[in-house]
This record gives sequence, structure tokens and C-alpha cells, in this order.
Amino acid sequence: MKHSKPTERTKVKVVLPGDTVSLDVTTPGITLGPGLIQAGDSISCTKAGFLVRSGSIYWVENDQKRYIPETGEHVVGRISGKGGEFYRVDIGSAHQAILPFLAFENATKKNRPNLNIGDLIYARVALANKDMDPELQCLNPMNNKADGFGKLEGGMVLKCSLRYCQRLLTQETDICKLLGQVLQFEVSIGMNGRVWLSSDTIKHISLVYNVLKQAEALNNSECKALVNKLAV
Amino acid sequence: MCIITVLLILISLMDGRRANELRKIKCKPSVLSQADGSAYIEQGNTKCLAAVYGPRETRQKAQLIHNKANINVEISLAPFSMPQERKKRSKSDRRLLEIASAVKQTFEPIIMTNLFARSQIDIYLQILQFDGGTIQICINAATLALIDAGIPMQEYVCACSAGCHENHTLLDLNNAEEMADTPELTVALLPMSGKLTLLQMDSRLHVDKLEPVMNLAALGCKEIYQTLDETVREYVKDLFQKSSPY
Repeated sequence: MKHSKPTERTKVKVVLPGDTVSLDVTTPGITLGPGLIQAGDSISCTKAGFLVRSGSIYWVENDQKRYIPETGEHVVGRISGKGGEFYRVDIGSAHQAILPFLAFENATKKNRPNLNIGDLIYARVALANKDMDPELQCLNPMNNKADGFGKLEGGMVLKCSLRYCQRLLTQETDICKLLGQVLQFEVSIGMNGRVWLSSDTIKHISLVYNVLKQAEALNNSECKALVNKLAV
Repeated sequence: MCIITVLLILISLMDGRRANELRKIKCKPSVLSQADGSAYIEQGNTKCLAAVYGPRETRQKAQLIHNKANINVEISLAPFSMPQERKKRSKSDRRLLEIASAVKQTFEPIIMTNLFARSQIDIYLQILQFDGGTIQICINAATLALIDAGIPMQEYVCACSAGCHENHTLLDLNNAEEMADTPELTVALLPMSGKLTLLQMDSRLHVDKLEPVMNLAALGCKEIYQTLDETVREYVKDLFQKSSPY
């Protein structure tokens, strides 16, 4: 997956629920992300964390573990049930997601995907609405190709905080790159606090799992030290 | 006259506090790895552990509310929590249910439940050691755990109790003081906007005394707010420093 480099992010300050933030609501193009609400002319926070600014977009970044689905995000899910037309998928959100049989590459009414309960999938959130169950798809809507989505074979899943997933994706924490120089492995990073990883042997898989898990509380230089220790 | 007033202000409670002094508060957010949010808090000898799960799927279809999240509060008292008697209390103990419903009522207008339609937010509270002030510690612990879970709230809540004994107003009663037939008033405040979300008293209090007792409890809330605020700010800063890329 290719990810465009995010624009420069600046941490403004620590905020707590109820804090008012002195932002001018009349600024053209100002966007309030999660954790901020507008009440009249003032903007107040609803979450505890760092107020982060990227261009004219503001949001509160915190260490949440529970996933709230958002359209277009990539997630790692587990098939938990099967209906007549769709699979039910556990993606760690408040409701189970729906994955229609037709939302796969080359799928037709006759040509159904073959997934069983307990299988892991990498999918894209096609529809997220607070009043409806989220809907997933295993294809890229731009070209209707699988593009890496679909069943994940073997490997194991690491559960972590949502922010760690974002850090891994934006390569703010470049542990994957560092570890990749030492041994070969595969990862699929979901935005829902789940990271699927696989390697050639079970020993390597558990090694990658433990390194990624430890790196959550480390900064880049500490990550480097950790990987260097492994390389020896 | 002056000496008497000074004496009154310096009146010592059983544990050596002054009448308008809070018990010592210690708190720590994010103590459990499994829960979405958790907190541990101590006020004097009362200790409470809170865990928040959610928003997640409702356990029973009957609890589902189509346009907002359902808040579920469960309180349990550890069998070893009281030094006088060791007994197991069921979750359906009337007193505990009452406290749970007070906690629920406190948080219902503050948590932005309309964002999570058809889901449920579970708050589990466990009293590890009991020494009075159960409602206030439950509310304070739940607040910290909800903040840790990242559940959107309009503002956070602080609670404190106050009472009145032989014409003196007392802050933050412990168990012995509660037992001595002291009317106890619990106040839960939104410290930033100054709004009141809970006002609860089980016994009778002279109406002339109501205002001073309420004001004292509100002052206590503000003091607790300072402590919680400091703790959370420090915690967030620490968290982001630890995991910053540089």
C-alpha cells in the first residue's frame, strides 16, 4: 500500500474534556476532527489528549483502544458469522461489520468467496454511519481489483492502541523498516488497532510480534537499539 | 469570640484532618491492559478500581436504545473491603444498586451518548477498601476511567461529600463520621462550567445548614478537580513523550 506523506503536524497543547480552545471558527477552511465540538462561537474538547494541528485541520490525539469505523479506512477483521448474502466481521468496533459476498474481486452471484468463521481478512470500510452497521469491501473501488485486500493466511494478530497503528502506517515509528533489514516478514496494518503479521517460521512470527508490541512504548532511537540487539 | 472561631476552624477530626480538609487523594489512570479505559483512585482509606468497556454491542436486546448509547454501571464491594466484617455481597445488594444508579444518572447527560447509537458503555467499579464516601469515589474513579477510554464527554465530573455535625460543617466524611449520625450530602460538579449534576442526601439536615454544607462540598469538588486535572495532564504528556518518534 502506498501512503501519501502527511502534511506537517504540530502538537499544540494538552487538552482535557471541557477545555475551550481559542480557535477562530470563522477562519475559512477550518475543520474540526474527533474530540472537538463547536458550541456557538467557541470550540471545546470532548477527549483528553494532545490537540494536533495539520494545516487548518484540528483534532485531539489520544491513546484510545476502541475503534470507531470511518469510511475509507483499512481494517483487519475476523469472520464471526455467515448470512445468506454476507459475512459478519468482528473489527473491534461497537457493532459487527457486514462484508457482502459481492464485495470481492471477480465475485458474482455464482462465484462466491470461500471464507470460514475464524478466518482473518484485510478489508476497506466502504460505509460507516453511526445508525447502521459498518460495511466492508475486499476490493479497491478505484479499479475493482483486490489490491492486497482479502483473506490473510497464517500469521497472527497483534492488538494495540489506535494511535500506534497510525504511527506504524505513517512511518512516524519506523520499526517495520528497521526490523525488515534483519528478517523478512509481512504486515497488514489495520486502523482498528489490529496488526496482522506473518513470517516464514513460527519462531520468527513470535519474534516480530514481541518486537512490534514492545516498540509501542519506544521512540525511534530506542527501536534502533532494540533491532540492533536482535541483529547481533 | 475570635479564639472560639479559630478553635472551630482548627477542630480536628478523627484522623487528624481539619473540618474543611480533604482526605489524601492518590490516582492513576490506565491500570488495566484489557479494559478500554481504567483508573485506580484512593481517597483516604477508601480505594476504588474502575474499568470502562465500550462503546460495544449491547448484551441484551432490551437494553438497546435506537438513538443513543446505553450506560451500564455495576458496582461490587470486595469481600475484604471492610475490616469489621468479612462477607460476600451480591451485585444486587440494594445499597450498591442505589449507588450505581446515582453514578449512571451523573454521567448520562455528560457523556455524548448520541454519537454511539445502539451501543452500550459499561462502567465496572470495584471498591477494594471501604471507608465512607462511596458515591463520590465511584464518580471520581469512573470519570478518570472514561477519560482514559477516550469516550467523548462535554466536560468531566468531580464529586465530593460534606456533612454537618453539632453545628460544624465537615468535608469528606470517612466511615466513622458517617456512622455517627451525620447527615451526608454528596455533590457532583462540572468544575469548569460550575454546573451541578448530582445532589444526594439520605438523611435529614436543617435547611439553614444546607447552603454552607453545599458550598463546602462544592469547594471540595474544586480541590479534587485540581488533583485529577494535574494527574491527567501529566499522564497524557508522559504518554506522548514516551512514544514520540524522537
